[in-house]
Amino acid sequence: MESIRNDVFDAQACGSLTPKSKPCPRPKPGEAAGGCSFDGAQITLLPIMDAAHLVHGPAACAGNSWESRGALSSGPSLSQYGFTTDLNDNDIIFGGEKKLKDSIDYIAGRFMPPAIFVYATCVTALIGEDLDAVCKEAAGRLGLPVIPVNSPGFVGSKNLGNRLAGEALLQYVIGTGEPEIEIPLGVNLIGEYNIAGEMWDIEKLMKSVGITLMSRITGDARYKEITWAHHAKVNMVVCSRALLGLAKEMEARYHIPYFEGSFYGAKETTYSLRQMAYLLNDREMERRVDRLTEREENRLIQELRPYRKLLKGKKAVLYTGGVKSWSIISALKELGVQVVGVGTNKSTEDDVRRIADRVGDDTEYIPEGGASRIIKTVRDRKADIMIAGGRNMYVAMKEQIPFIDINQERHKAYAGYEGLLRLAKELTYSLANPIWKLAASAAPWDKEEPSYDR
Amino acid sequence: MKDKLEIPDYNTLFQTEPYVKQREGKKAFEAPCSEQETAEALAYSKSSEYKDKNFARTSLVVNPHKACQPLGALMAALGFEKTLPFIHGSQGCTAYFRSHLSRHFKEPTPAVSSSMTEDGAVFGGMNNLIDGLENSVALYKPEMIAVSTTCMAEVIGDDLQAFISNARQKGAISNEIPVPYANTPSFSGSHITGYDSMLKSILSTLFIRSGIEATPGSGEGTGEKLNVIIGFEPYTGNFAEIRKILAAFDTGYTFLGDHSGNFDSPATGEYSYYYGGTKLADVPKAANALGTLSLQKYSVKKTLEYISGTWKQQTVAMSTPLGIHATDRLIESISELTGLPIPPELVEERGRVVDALLDSHPYLHGKRVALVGDPDLLIGLIEFCLEVGIEPIHIVCSNGENGFKEEAKALLAASPYGAETTVHIGNDLWHMRSLLIDDPVDLAIGSSHLKFAAKDADVPLIRVGFPVFDRHHLHRYPIIGYQGALNLLTTIVNTILQGLDEDSSGFNHDLVR
Repeated sequence: MESIRNDVFDAQACGSLTPKSKPCPRPKPGEAAGGCSFDGAQITLLPIMDAAHLVHGPAACAGNSWESRGALSSGPSLSQYGFTTDLNDNDIIFGGEKKLKDSIDYIAGRFMPPAIFVYATCVTALIGEDLDAVCKEAAGRLGLPVIPVNSPGFVGSKNLGNRLAGEALLQYVIGTGEPEIEIPLGVNLIGEYNIAGEMWDIEKLMKSVGITLMSRITGDARYKEITWAHHAKVNMVVCSRALLGLAKEMEARYHIPYFEGSFYGAKETTYSLRQMAYLLNDREMERRVDRLTEREENRLIQELRPYRKLLKGKKAVLYTGGVKSWSIISALKELGVQVVGVGTNKSTEDDVRRIADRVGDDTEYIPEGGASRIIKTVRDRKADIMIAGGRNMYVAMKEQIPFIDINQERHKAYAGYEGLLRLAKELTYSLANPIWKLAASAAPWDKEEPSYDR
Repeated sequence: MKDKLEIPDYNTLFQTEPYVKQREGKKAFEAPCSEQETAEALAYSKSSEYKDKNFARTSLVVNPHKACQPLGALMAALGFEKTLPFIHGSQGCTAYFRSHLSRHFKEPTPAVSSSMTEDGAVFGGMNNLIDGLENSVALYKPEMIAVSTTCMAEVIGDDLQAFISNARQKGAISNEIPVPYANTPSFSGSHITGYDSMLKSILSTLFIRSGIEATPGSGEGTGEKLNVIIGFEPYTGNFAEIRKILAAFDTGYTFLGDHSGNFDSPATGEYSYYYGGTKLADVPKAANALGTLSLQKYSVKKTLEYISGTWKQQTVAMSTPLGIHATDRLIESISELTGLPIPPELVEERGRVVDALLDSHPYLHGKRVALVGDPDLLIGLIEFCLEVGIEPIHIVCSNGENGFKEEAKALLAASPYGAETTVHIGNDLWHMRSLLIDDPVDLAIGSSHLKFAAKDADVPLIRVGFPVFDRHHLHRYPIIGYQGALNLLTTIVNTILQGLDEDSSGFNHDLVR
């Protein structure tokens, strides 16, 4: 466990290119907090849909998280099962390794998964369970990859957990398999989790220009395809804060060039597809990409016209994690929506630079969370809409601020060209709903004007 | 909008040809086993042999149906005015609790964490607790902070009492602010245990600080009042219903723990961290009340012991009063504790709900159901089922103890409709899946988590309990009292009628049912 932590901190430094940059921000005591490293590791690995994910700890670590994310599967559903060793007092005192071993054996025997991921939790890390040894022994005995994920909650933020999951993939998965059938060399998508099926839209675009999607890391992934990810010719990093380190390490180990890109907004989508074709070094493919992107962008100009009319000049406050902080800005700009405030809590320094490239000078940066901080920006900047995640949604409702959910629980796919249309539709529906007028106007017997005129 | 576009949502979109093809294409290189093998494995998982093996499972829990202690402690804390729930441990737990409760109630959940990291694991969490108390007072301006622990703080053995008193000595938190605390590790008990510990801690902390003595039935303006505990209550509507009943009696009362304000606040255009809750000053006065009525018993055991032991009060505790009989006992208890007569409007309401039960009984009689939930809710549901002729077949209670099992069995043994019932404590929803498939039922009643097992077994699910993530606003409708019985009846009978319509082949697609 120690070696992983050091690697992560020294070499990755929050995904920035410069090693001197700030380490992951430490959570502050006494504030409403985000997720932990255990949560982060799970988010990254759960979309490996055919694998079993076993949480070694008390029941609630799994109980609070099983099947509560929007990462969709096109087939297997084993990943959705909440497996846990459900440790109790006695296990804490006498150790839970026997229970863990039994649980692994049970899963292997009854569910026959291609692999089992075993997650440490605060408790098992503190009582000193040797996850690595139990997993190694079980893997040898069962002839099945049993992968320890040493990311207990207390080691740090959710984000660190994302990266520790990446470490587990590097150490135990990538490079361990060969495709059974010939797969043309292609692109890995890293840090794309198929929320609301977004990856499927992207895969469709890639397919239509002949780009092979080699391994999905990890949206709607199958275990096996990640084992041969090292055969790809290009890595595209979709969520850089989470898994940039994985791409860097793959470049060092396997000489696979990577680029950071996004599929939010037409221009970003076009850029990403072009970049893939360019790095694959295939002129004919580049021409196909040009034809597709030109056609799609022209179609969008037509189809977005009615929405743009309504959305032009609207102001938004964006409070989201990692890559979306800058990539959604591009999408919003294409719709005529101005971003007046943006969260940078979970952004790398590169992300912040990209934000700066995309917004005006007077955009407010919101460095850390707390509902009141976000609300303040909405009020100060007279924003029309708030775009954030689930835990802030109901605060927005209290404050009568139009809202759309952009994080992992959403049910709408916003990636690619189709996704931009969906985003336009959702924004319009959220802004134009008659309920805002009703909510903001006083009851007929109450003459007082609403305190905030939108 | 005139130029409305047709943008398919994912339900329709992913059924279109390109996506279906895309999925088919993947199978060529991904699948570890053939479709036939998959089908065989699925069939095996539905066999009796598999059920036996499933029940022989000891180490592994699959699809657990319980939350952990600090989540309950958080809910107890939010039952008191201007109280900030503070969870001592690593931060992810707090994020989970906030999401969990927000997804159920569709409301923001204020709570903070001491955000312990590896330093805390090595050197103890005192500094985190002290800094956390100081920061949270500055940020959220609470009048009380209720501290509960997570597994992490428990495993390293953090001493909350000492840490809090150190925080006071260092001036991180003023003496004016009460800081009740509870030890709430997730590796023992469940959310109801945590609720109990925190509620007891809040009552005793505020009582001790006041310096008054408990004299039941006396004291200025409080001797006529009744204390009411509602417990770990996922229904804000149940608060409204018990209020309605107490108002009909015209009795004074104090809720000991009322989180309905925090989980059912109005959209005024301005969010506040705190809504409603029991006034802190009312807690010591509650020690002088006539008596304490509790609408749950398994989830407030320690609190009830405290009240009868230290406050020397008469306590009456019942499980969630669902259905006519349980509500009758509730009404009688209020009458006994207060000495007030039973209000005629409640008698009339009872009659109307009995009428509704008569109207629907032909559709309910002999319906076989499976039940999942917390112990108090299950006792209520069992009684409701038995009184309307519904047969509970499988009952799974992940966080039930032997006392619950015995009570449930006695209740079932007293009715012919309980003859086939089996009660399982400490089991999970994967066990329930086997039960549902091996011995099919007409309906499943339980939380949203049951939807996966229900779908595998092809049985309709009626969402009752906690958590309900995938339906809106059910928690706003009471399930206790006569009105609650009517609400439960309406949901159950209409689900059955909906099923009849869906299954009808034409000749029995009846207009009147």
